[in-house]
Amino acid sequence: MSFVTWPYPFFLAGVVATYWALPLKGRWWLLLLSSYGFYAAWDPRFLALLLSSTAIDYFCGRALVDERRPFRHVLVATTLPALWLVICRFIHSTFPSLTGLPQIESSMILVAAMLPILFLPTYQWLWKWTTSKRRQAFLVVSVGSNLGALGFFKYFNFFADSLRQLFHATGNSAQWDLPSIVLPVAISFYTFQSISYAVDIARGQAQPAREFVLFAAYLAFFPQLIAGPIERVGRFLPQFETARTWTREHLHQGLLLLLMGWFKKVFVADNCALLANHVFDPKTPIDASWAILGALAFTFQIYGDFSGYTDLARGSARLLGIELSSNFRFPYSAQGPSDFWQRWHRTLSSWFRDYLYIPLGGNRCSVSRQLVNLWIVMLLAGLWHGANWNFLLWGGYHAALLTLYRVSPPLLRFENTRSFWGGWAATLLMFLLTVLGWVLFRCTSLAQLGHWFGAFGGATNPIDAAVRRPALWLVLHVAPLLVLQWATRRDQDERSNAHWPWPMRGLAYVALALLLVASSSQDQEFLYFQF
Amino acid sequence: MTTSPPRVTRAFLFAAALLVVAEMVARWGFASSVEGRFEYGFHPTAGFVESPAGRVQLVRSGGRRFFPQDYPLQRPPGTFRIFVLGDSVPRGTSVDQSYGGRLGALLRSRGTAVEVWNLCVPGYGVRRVQTTLKQALHYSPSLVVLHLNNSNEYEDEREFRRSQEFASWHPKNWLMKSFLFRRLYEAKTEQLTWKLLPESVRARQGVNDADAEIAASMSPTTLRQWEERVSEETRRSVSLCAAQAVPMVLVTQATLSGPMGSRSLHDAGLAALAQSLTNREVSEVSMLETFRETDVANLYADANHLKPPGHQRMADALLRVIDAKELLESRSARHEKSFPLKP
Repeated sequence: MSFVTWPYPFFLAGVVATYWALPLKGRWWLLLLSSYGFYAAWDPRFLALLLSSTAIDYFCGRALVDERRPFRHVLVATTLPALWLVICRFIHSTFPSLTGLPQIESSMILVAAMLPILFLPTYQWLWKWTTSKRRQAFLVVSVGSNLGALGFFKYFNFFADSLRQLFHATGNSAQWDLPSIVLPVAISFYTFQSISYAVDIARGQAQPAREFVLFAAYLAFFPQLIAGPIERVGRFLPQFETARTWTREHLHQGLLLLLMGWFKKVFVADNCALLANHVFDPKTPIDASWAILGALAFTFQIYGDFSGYTDLARGSARLLGIELSSNFRFPYSAQGPSDFWQRWHRTLSSWFRDYLYIPLGGNRCSVSRQLVNLWIVMLLAGLWHGANWNFLLWGGYHAALLTLYRVSPPLLRFENTRSFWGGWAATLLMFLLTVLGWVLFRCTSLAQLGHWFGAFGGATNPIDAAVRRPALWLVLHVAPLLVLQWATRRDQDERSNAHWPWPMRGLAYVALALLLVASSSQDQEFLYFQF
Repeated sequence: MTTSPPRVTRAFLFAAALLVVAEMVARWGFASSVEGRFEYGFHPTAGFVESPAGRVQLVRSGGRRFFPQDYPLQRPPGTFRIFVLGDSVPRGTSVDQSYGGRLGALLRSRGTAVEVWNLCVPGYGVRRVQTTLKQALHYSPSLVVLHLNNSNEYEDEREFRRSQEFASWHPKNWLMKSFLFRRLYEAKTEQLTWKLLPESVRARQGVNDADAEIAASMSPTTLRQWEERVSEETRRSVSLCAAQAVPMVLVTQATLSGPMGSRSLHDAGLAALAQSLTNREVSEVSMLETFRETDVANLYADANHLKPPGHQRMADALLRVIDAKELLESRSARHEKSFPLKP
């Protein structure tokens, strides 16, 4: 179920109405069941993976504060993934045409059944270790299991294909027959959230969830399960643990965020996508003006898409009284690459900073070491987006920009300039560099990349009517967003309109509603769902 | 956000009130007839407004862009009522300039009391013409002139799909039940999507797109389907008139094609279709035959549409057929026998 499909508002309204009528524990159960239903609507098989991650991280989390859970609890929880797959298989075989469930193979059930077989003895055995060693071991188990799942499901195909190509390139035969692994939705997001959960507890920065159902609801919380924001346990879990009371502010802010999110996704992103998909299709003949138009269209598509998703997630959560982190702060107004990464996908940037860059030495080491750390982080951040060379290239490109700005004092001064015109120039330069980065991100093959850059080789007429009309299309679909950003520039959040007179706010809501309804028939999926 | 909830409430309420008022104004203030507005000519009664004063007005409404006309609801005694149905070709540039209007003038010039209703709408294919015919038959025609043209089927198909797009009460269509939202969506589709996006992008979207349909018209399979539809629907229209004992004249379109200087007329098999339907009550006038051995450059404004001399020739041809087959007399006599007209 996607936020932009028609069932979602009904689903959300049902959950919200029920949620506020329930006591605290009832709310956990409601959130858990609705989140699992929401996730299973994509592909029920992968709920087993989420259940596995939930079971491992819950018991590891408790173990990190030296609390040993009863054997039967661990047994039941770790058996749940296999049990779920058995239920799915039973339903599939009983009602094959009714449910539309994918085939559950025996091997999948066997793999899921390995969880209690492997985890239970390990869990029991680790309790025999000394406290400090045991804590480290449970941290390794939690982080390792998450990274292992992420690595296998997300990167197995990539590395297998790369290896095969390498064999071919060196003249060797590579005829092995490997299975094609299907990427589970949201795995990049919930594994990172699980890792931060275990690490923050190990660092003593947060307390683990008291109950299994609470942790399961926390990890699977449907508004942010699929594409973030990647939350931290210290900020996020307490919001589940306390019985929040209903206020009108929840409703107002939630609806405002939903309106903003739908506007960005449906009006801005989906309409820009029409042009971006056209230009980046290798079969489309393009010249330089088309190439630039396509790059700009994708630049606004990806912002509208991802920040729109985030607003929808935040709005949905806010209706349940839960505040999610803001992931964006007008990233295209950044004055330099460092500034950009403090504005774009902020929860991912801070995750990499806190759990990778700082442990690697951060800024406390030599400049050359800092740069090495920076490259490691950016390449991994690129690869996090997807198992493809273009994402690695994109990560490398941003690492190069960060390096360039860091080692070049004039550029560093330029990024931090306070002057009005200097600030505009720095923003413009960074915007153009960002657009170029998005081209690397968007081109999933060398052929596509060659197609885009090849467009600059021929003659072009920028005022050609064939380009002017789609350019007008782009302007018409981006201008309302830019006007909104200009009007909310003080807080750098499109919904921060509290300082406007109320009639102006009302008019803005009407305008947004009309614009998004006028673009309501495309049903394009969110870009970040594939990550 | 530092604002207090009531202030936000006021803005939301204001927005909601604005939308409701705008919807009401659009529905009852400006739209002359909301009914059929988004059925693009497939609504049964759109464009026909019956007044309590016993008149029927033909208006531009619901995708049915009639020339404005006003007639008594009941056919006046002793007056013949001819309905001309079709697309932009028989519609002409005005009621009087069209071949229907000219036919009326010819009949009146020799003392025949006649009303000629121009029920033609640009871009109408056989299905929408038939929908119009069904309503028109409620107004006691003496003769129906049905102009056959098979070049509008792509547009009929596109408009049919548009009319069905949000037709159901599925929850995903609820917002589009608002006149305001639907009108805005329609305006965006027609004014922005169709005009600003490249053809290939529109074709890839594949909905509500004239170019996508034109592309489809290049497919032999689609063309064959359209030919079959023209044939079937025309037969059905003939049956509808026959059921009410209304005589018909089928006018078959001839189109100019070929390079400039050596352009020739063809009728894409429409004359053959019309001939297969002719009988005592159904006659045929072929544009191809009517314009044979004449300088067509003086008769055609473009490949399809006629100049005034072309319309005049068609009116003359229609009059010849009416006289030859005594279509108006036979109709009158039959009515006099079975349903004597009352003063």
